[in-house]
Amino acid sequence: MAGKYQLLPCIYRKTDSQQPAKTLMLRYIIRRLIQAIPLLFIISIVLFFLMRNMGDPIAAMAGRSVTRSAERERLTKVLGLDKPVYLQYIYWLVGNDWTKTDVDGDGIAETQGTRKGILRGDFGTSLVNRGKPVTKVIAERLPNTLILMVAAEVVVILGALIVGVYSALRQYSALDNIMTAVSFIAYSMPIFFIALISMYIFGVFFKRWGLPYLPTVGMFDPNVGKTVGQVALHMILPILSMTLISLAAYSRYIRSTMLEVMNQDYIRTAKAKGLPRWRIVYIHALKNASLPLVTLVGLDIPLLLGGALVTERIFAWPGMGRLFLDHVNRLDVPVVMGILMLIAVAVVVFQIITDIVYAWLDPRIRYGT
Amino acid sequence: MKRKHILFTILIVATIILSACGTAQTATPVTTTAPVVEPTQGQVVVPTAVPPTEVVAPPEKTVTTITWIQEYDSLNPMYTNMWFSTTTQQIWNAWAWEFDDKAQPYPKLVTEIPSLDNGGISADGTVITMTLRSDVTWSDGTPMTSADFKFTWEMYTNENNAVASVYPYDYITSIDTPDETTVVIHFDNPFAPWLALLWHGIIPEHVLRPVFDADGTLDNAEWNLAPTVGLGPYVFDTWESGSFARFVKNENYWGTPAKIDEIFFRFVPDEAAQVASLLAGDADIGYWYEWIDAQKLEDAKFSIVVVPNGYDEGMFFMVNNTEAKFNDQPIGHPAMLDVKVRQALAMAIDRETLNQSLNLGFTTVPASFWDSIPLYSDLPNTTYSYDPDGAKKLLDEAGWVDSNGDGTRDKDGVELVLGYGTTNMEKRQKAQVVIQENLQAVGIGIELTSLESDLFFAGYADSGPTYTGDLDIQEWSDAPMFPDPDIYYWLCSEIPSADYPSGSNSFYLCDQELNDLIVLQSTQLDYKERHDTISKINKIFQERVYWLGLWQDPDPWAVSSKLQNIKFSPVNPFFNITEWVKTP
Repeated sequence: MAGKYQLLPCIYRKTDSQQPAKTLMLRYIIRRLIQAIPLLFIISIVLFFLMRNMGDPIAAMAGRSVTRSAERERLTKVLGLDKPVYLQYIYWLVGNDWTKTDVDGDGIAETQGTRKGILRGDFGTSLVNRGKPVTKVIAERLPNTLILMVAAEVVVILGALIVGVYSALRQYSALDNIMTAVSFIAYSMPIFFIALISMYIFGVFFKRWGLPYLPTVGMFDPNVGKTVGQVALHMILPILSMTLISLAAYSRYIRSTMLEVMNQDYIRTAKAKGLPRWRIVYIHALKNASLPLVTLVGLDIPLLLGGALVTERIFAWPGMGRLFLDHVNRLDVPVVMGILMLIAVAVVVFQIITDIVYAWLDPRIRYGT
Repeated sequence: MKRKHILFTILIVATIILSACGTAQTATPVTTTAPVVEPTQGQVVVPTAVPPTEVVAPPEKTVTTITWIQEYDSLNPMYTNMWFSTTTQQIWNAWAWEFDDKAQPYPKLVTEIPSLDNGGISADGTVITMTLRSDVTWSDGTPMTSADFKFTWEMYTNENNAVASVYPYDYITSIDTPDETTVVIHFDNPFAPWLALLWHGIIPEHVLRPVFDADGTLDNAEWNLAPTVGLGPYVFDTWESGSFARFVKNENYWGTPAKIDEIFFRFVPDEAAQVASLLAGDADIGYWYEWIDAQKLEDAKFSIVVVPNGYDEGMFFMVNNTEAKFNDQPIGHPAMLDVKVRQALAMAIDRETLNQSLNLGFTTVPASFWDSIPLYSDLPNTTYSYDPDGAKKLLDEAGWVDSNGDGTRDKDGVELVLGYGTTNMEKRQKAQVVIQENLQAVGIGIELTSLESDLFFAGYADSGPTYTGDLDIQEWSDAPMFPDPDIYYWLCSEIPSADYPSGSNSFYLCDQELNDLIVLQSTQLDYKERHDTISKINKIFQERVYWLGLWQDPDPWAVSSKLQNIKFSPVNPFFNITEWVKTP
């Protein structure tokens, strides 16, 4: 366990402080939150300037034809893209309702700004879906992503625990070797390949062969309607695709930590005391072997909000991943910034939560003063 | 041993579950014993336990599912340039006149199309008078009137509305509405493209005027994303972001009712997944797939329908005869000023083979920039055939020879190495490589560039690569103002500069004769006169090689064998959607 302390020296360290644990924890959380403010500020600056230098939003709006010159001038002005990037960032951050802008191009600023900026909860409106608030754009997609990603994460964790524990307990058995081989094969396959192959096998070929088949794309069959059963049915292939790759990685991780734990002295002692095997494995060994998994899951959860870019695109799942891709391609800065900042905040928050859960699971860990 | 098989068993069970919980094959409808129930459209009739009676199964709701690889940005025609959005106009809205599968216009909201002959167009061409049908109503029952047309124009041109394109409404100087069915449109000068470009979607004044009066703009109107009131055979029902859009039958439709109950658009951005969904029967109509998938779809009993749309892939040559500079740096290669070099480029590229290898013969080399424009596709074809020896001869005559033996021609110490850029679409990148080989074979060096489309098409102010002078050859797919033959890129007034950064003439070419003809045709309302002018422009294009067509870029559709009576218009694809029929 000493090794773990060395890995995370700035977060965890033993302390001899006499202060109550709750006070220490609260102080720690507050400190982390305060540290997050400049961090998020820097992230927002970097992302905003990167986004604004990725291309020309007006060109992206053109559709099939090149934008006419007069239209380019007009849209640039109306959408505020004629302003210097730093000013666009300030407007995005604190709004522009404190100033006037020159919309008609006569050199006189006559139009009062209406934006409040993200510091006052106004994330702006989408450039693509003109006039639609960014918060609404994101809110429409977030539940779909969470349904898919949480379900996939649960399947991955449960599957990885089953496969990982079994492999560890039956090390070098035929089944362990098979699962090791399958894991490496699955892990080495690109997800788009797995997605398309599964789509063809379970959707196209099964139907052709007269077998029960699975739907290929979307969330439901329009002939049936958007029912719970339909959504669940349409989730199977996306989850299968995501699970195969993640399960391979997670199960290998569980296997190695279980192997490490199963060789610890306290497990040997438990065996010597004659405890039932299930109790040794699932109560004593698995709990300790799962600790690193908590860190992995803690890091995964905020990224779940970002959705699965490839899976959502291929299976036409209306989640955050597709939203991000679609709007990055069309340089919709307000929406992309909204998504990125949501993920950035989630990463910070969930890292703090992970730290807390980690300490809760391992009572030996205390927060430093 | 038993335990060892646990996971195998789990895997097998999982596979069975995966399949078993899937959709079963659609059962053949059978006659059931159930009470006679008068079915209500869209409702499921549940048999009850009463004495058996012979009945016919109630008609099921017919739904046509169309996969769209791009999602709409807005459904309000004012706020979108997206083809995927504007094509829905014939479903839930209507144009003043629409175009059939031969791209011929026919009146829709008007009693007849204005012309010089019927007096709808004034003798000087500056006034167009439309007479509206008196029986047209919005889907909420409100009559459509001339006020809706005037309101549409006012909203397009109001600077408080950040519309996608003011053109062509900014050419209208005023509109009079002497009565509810008469719309009189005034222009300063004759405006030839009016028939092709005006009134692509009318907006309802009775719905949107109160919004504009309250907000001062239509930018945030709910109707933009949920146009619940329209003029089409279907009405908007739902648009779920990233997922689908549903249009249901308009029970108040003023025209012939549609036969299919519901049109369901599913947004499937991945082309391969779109094909899989079609093959799996999860969609009835697909659009925009790779040519290589066409055979696969045909084998699955889909009809492959290729519809010309005015677009052709082509090479735009930078011919900077104006000595324009970008950031004080000279623009373009001097060789491009020599017409013999440009002709040599045209002869050195094997375009027929490109069409065969990249598009599997589904397309041919476009004969002109107006190759698939109705009424203008008959322009004299003087396109250059593949002749590498002829190209070498022309380059020799122009003085570009390989004097230093490095394999690339040169002249006065300048190597004949041209910048050639396009977007990063896979097909274009493949074409670039083939063309590079073709040109190197005649001694022309090529430096390739391929970029994301938004970077490639970035404007002058953003140092877009087409403007900086790095690209002597620029490739993309383009069309005149389809279905109108109007063009404007090559106008001398469109040459960009620091003072006019939005200029679209990224070729920096000013050919006064060409310029005057382009201006002239845009004012000619007489078809024969305009055709003659366009022919002259085409002749200049061909002889002076300002543009070189590579392949036609038509719309590929795949239609399920369950659908009948489907025709696609090149201009407004779903023009006959009320005639579509779907069989089980």
